Amino acid sequence: MSLSSPADLGTAPAATSSAAGAVSLAARAVGLRKVYGRTVAVEGIDLDVPTGSVLGMLGPNGSGKTTLIRMLLGLTRPSAGTAELLGSAVPEAAASALPHVGALVEGPGFHPFLSGRENLRRAAAAEPLLASAAIPGAVGSALERVGLTHAADRRFRGYSLGMKQRLGLAGALLVPRKLVVLDEPTNGLDPSGTRDVRRIIGELHAGGATVIVSSHLLAEVEATCTHVAVLQSGSLVAAGELRSLLDAGTGGLVVATPDVDLALTTLRDAGATAFRDAGDEPAVVVSDGPEAPEIVALLVRAGVAVHEARRRRPRLEELFAQLTEGSS
Amino acid sequence: MTAGRTWSRIGVGAALVGAVGLGLVAIPAGAGAAPVLPPVSAQDLVSSVLTAKPGPFNGTVELDNALGLPAIPGAPAQLANGKSTARVWSGDDGKGRLSIPSGADEQTLVSDGSTVWAYDSADRTATKHTLVPGERGPGQRSATDPAAAAAAALQTLGKTSTITVDGTAEVAGRPAYALVLAPNPSERTLLREVRIAVDAEKRVPLQLTVLANGSTDPAVQIGFTDLTFGPQDPSLFTFTPPAGTTVKDEPAPAGTPEGTPGAHPGPPAGTTVVGDGWDTVVVGTMPKPGAQAAPDQRRRDEGGAPDLSSLGTPVSGSWGSGRLITTAVATAIVTDDGRVAAGAVPEQVLTEALAK
Amino acid sequence: MTASLVEQDTARPTRTAAPLGRLLAAEVRWVLRRPRTLVMLGLFALIPIVIAIGIVIADRQMGGGLIGAVAGNGLVLPIAALTLSLTLLLPLAVTMSAADAIAGEAAHGTLRGLLLAPVGRLRLVGVKAFGVLVVAFLAVLVISVVGVVAGSLIVGGGGDVVTLSGTTLGMGEALGRVALVAVWVVGQLAAVGAVALAISSLTEHPLVVLASVLGGLIVFGVLGAIPALDWLQPWLLTSGWAGAADALRDPLPLGGLGESTLRALCYVAIGLGFTAIRMQRRDA
Repeated sequence: MSLSSPADLGTAPAATSSAAGAVSLAARAVGLRKVYGRTVAVEGIDLDVPTGSVLGMLGPNGSGKTTLIRMLLGLTRPSAGTAELLGSAVPEAAASALPHVGALVEGPGFHPFLSGRENLRRAAAAEPLLASAAIPGAVGSALERVGLTHAADRRFRGYSLGMKQRLGLAGALLVPRKLVVLDEPTNGLDPSGTRDVRRIIGELHAGGATVIVSSHLLAEVEATCTHVAVLQSGSLVAAGELRSLLDAGTGGLVVATPDVDLALTTLRDAGATAFRDAGDEPAVVVSDGPEAPEIVALLVRAGVAVHEARRRRPRLEELFAQLTEGSS
Repeated sequence: MTAGRTWSRIGVGAALVGAVGLGLVAIPAGAGAAPVLPPVSAQDLVSSVLTAKPGPFNGTVELDNALGLPAIPGAPAQLANGKSTARVWSGDDGKGRLSIPSGADEQTLVSDGSTVWAYDSADRTATKHTLVPGERGPGQRSATDPAAAAAAALQTLGKTSTITVDGTAEVAGRPAYALVLAPNPSERTLLREVRIAVDAEKRVPLQLTVLANGSTDPAVQIGFTDLTFGPQDPSLFTFTPPAGTTVKDEPAPAGTPEGTPGAHPGPPAGTTVVGDGWDTVVVGTMPKPGAQAAPDQRRRDEGGAPDLSSLGTPVSGSWGSGRLITTAVATAIVTDDGRVAAGAVPEQVLTEALAK
Repeated sequence: MTASLVEQDTARPTRTAAPLGRLLAAEVRWVLRRPRTLVMLGLFALIPIVIAIGIVIADRQMGGGLIGAVAGNGLVLPIAALTLSLTLLLPLAVTMSAADAIAGEAAHGTLRGLLLAPVGRLRLVGVKAFGVLVVAFLAVLVISVVGVVAGSLIVGGGGDVVTLSGTTLGMGEALGRVALVAVWVVGQLAAVGAVALAISSLTEHPLVVLASVLGGLIVFGVLGAIPALDWLQPWLLTSGWAGAADALRDPLPLGGLGESTLRALCYVAIGLGFTAIRMQRRDA
């Protein structure tokens, strides 16, 4: 179960459907490109989303996340390239995949003059997988899952931003889904709402569903996702399992020492980049410079008491900063 | 081919069908190929027209007026440029019914052979007129009846015209001979020719077209757009004034009431006719300023005579002075002392007539 | 809870579209819950009443035309009210509903939801056209029914109708004429609705639809009134709109009503065809 990097996919033949034996994919993009007038919104994106993964799609505003999601769902026609959803070509055969896909894209879309429940009923009437008799029950349980039962019969017009967002989420959860796509699901939500979203994503993941969640909140992604795709100016700059991406990143060396000042002076004299660690215990972080054994030897020779030296895993935030820096 | 493309093609197809259909609705079916009919001489055709007995029929008549007259307040809308239609039912023994819609109103003339009812929906009045023996009902003499108009034209113009049969045509879906009356070279007239489409079977004029000099488009055309021969529902020719109607009883008159004179009416009292044939000029006097006398005036309007004083250009000569009104096919002079001269002739012929 | 979230593979092939009847019912429910639809329908109920009261007050000073023909002739009221409303108010109602149907849904973000459900794009055109037609039908029904009732109660005249040709129709035939005009008006409104849907499929702004369709109707009216452009008349949807008076002539001439209905159907085909093409490619 690996998320291939763009470079990997560039050489792979563009298979039209997930061939037998290959990793089963919930969504796939091959060479997707979208141009609006002279603006390139998305440029040559290759992306595989394995079944059962929770993919966090990261990127600054305007990096092409929403456009990519819209092309995957068949809402926007790609200028070039192909998209696949649950093994069906999009948009040509999207009809066979979309009943299994729940989505909250570009904010919740509902009618202000209808109550939350009526809005959901209208959406449910269009769901192919719902039997007519099951609609009231499905609407009720979706409202309950997002914690909106108490406001279900109020008009959508009077909803707060967070309630609107919750209702949008409920709309994506009307039917048991194979794939759920959430575009900025925590927009406007209070901390408890954010927790609810995390819980729901966790439940979906545990149930075997695939989740694609776009966000600019890195902590959220780091907490809930198994996979990450980072977009920058319409291009995919990194994609893969969260763990391996973080492992591969250079987090530097953390040296725990009471003699922080001496250590810093010594390291800087030796040409290394070092700074005081922000943690509770006194320590220095060496982000650039000689190899680890050399650093330890250097410090010991200078009389610095080294209590511990360990390689540090980067936070997603730092990884993101590294990936998106300078390329714009 | 994907489903999306299929549906797009269906969309394109539907739009195209709609556009073509709109064209078919909008553009009247062009005249088909000229029907092949046995040749007939002009004399035989004319005499058969004058003796034709078509029997009962109903049809729709369209008048296409390009005389160039503006809409005159108080005058019938049919006088102004444009198309107007009327529905005609004709039975035996002088029975007839004529419906002339104008906007959301309608004038209806019903004759049962001895009594003519004229009903006007605008003011809900029904006028009863008892026919004197010999007088003809609305089905036979209306200006909106091409058959009557054409027969009148043949009678009036026959002697001073070159009459030829110019091929065949299809009018109101019926094969017809095209009879052409062209003025003799000695006639001083604005008209180039009068064409009459004569039904090949029933010998009824189906269409009358007046063409003026210097124009290929008809100045006036009146003709059936559909015509069906056969027995008519007798209830069409009876009239009972509906509830809420003002009923007027009109005594047997000297003039014509709602009913209309033919295309070339016999001169009413107080008028004289100068010349004959194509260059006939009618000279008359207006009873009071604003009374009607234009030659095209086909119908007297009960609501008062149309006001002509704002029309035309001032002219003067040895005969006096007045206003000259010209249209594509006719000229009229209304003098300041209340005389009127009109005809399908150049101005000079009118002034000569006035000077007499 | 969690287990129910996962799609369990069923033996039968999964549906890829919701039942059409359910979609149509949901659309009609949505249309009828929309406050502006209800306000419009209420307004239409007032039109025949206002005309009836006006006629009673003006009493004998009736002019010609359809309104004049209503006096003492109650069953003409629905026909006059329909003709009067057809010039602006009925097209306005239909255009509003067509504007909400696609452009309005796009503006609310709900069009996206329908396409993702998924409702097929062509199906969506059908469902939306049906919703617009329902509005047209209801509006005409309200005017006709209120017109018949108000005509009988306020204007009077018994069940008989005096035609423009001076003949008298019995109540049955008079109601038949009213029904004929109502069906004819629905046909004309269907044409307006189809064109409005086509414009609605081009934009996200319902007001653009409203402005262009009503502007277009006004332009059509102006073009139809210019004598030099009378060759254009047969192409204009509006040129037959005074034709409802034909239903009050006797014998009934069907030529004008038939021709304008054919023309309206052609506009329907063009409008819906264009909408279908456009919706295939539309981003939502």
